[in-house]
Amino acid sequence: MDATQQLQQKAREVQEKLGPQLDEAKKNLSDFNTRFTSFVRARPGVCLLGALAFGFIVGRIASRH
Amino acid sequence: MSKPSGNGTHGKEHRGLGERVEHIGSSAQELLTEARDTVSDLRKTLDLTARMERHPYAMLAAAAAVGYVLGGGLFTSATARLVRLGIKVAAFPLIKNELFNLAESSLSGFGASSGSEASGSTEPSSETGSSGA
Repeated sequence: MDATQQLQQKAREVQEKLGPQLDEAKKNLSDFNTRFTSFVRARPGVCLLGALAFGFIVGRIASRH
Repeated sequence: MSKPSGNGTHGKEHRGLGERVEHIGSSAQELLTEARDTVSDLRKTLDLTARMERHPYAMLAAAAAVGYVLGGGLFTSATARLVRLGIKVAAFPLIKNELFNLAESSLSGFGASSGSEASGSTEPSSETGSSGA
């Protein structure tokens, strides 16, 4: 068997194995994105302040090291 | 004799003080109104709510970046590392085509070499057999 055919066969097998899992992960990620964006849109001030505080803490930690 | 003059000056002083208090009060009111207008103008200009509606991730990243700078993390080794990583990520699309071309050429070369090995497989085996004997 040719090397390219072997590679194609391997790729097909990997795709068959990982395809459903990838679809599931994509769906979960899409759900999370929808929930997160709706949360951020519902509470913009809280989220902005939270992000600011998070960045401040990370900056403090980075400045100490 | 002294009573009327004393009362008169006190009355004038009271009136002057009252006017001053009124003036200060109105000035404070004006200042408050101006501050409120400025804040509402700033809100309209920034329009944070609408921006959050349109680009939530970008706004959160911007807020985190502002917090990072305020926290004193700007001139640190971690920031330098991050900047270097960012430059690499930004440069990746530029060199992506080159990488794909390189991978294709190497794969085609590998395929050609394996094909030639498959076609002339009898000769090398006989050679190796003779050399081994």
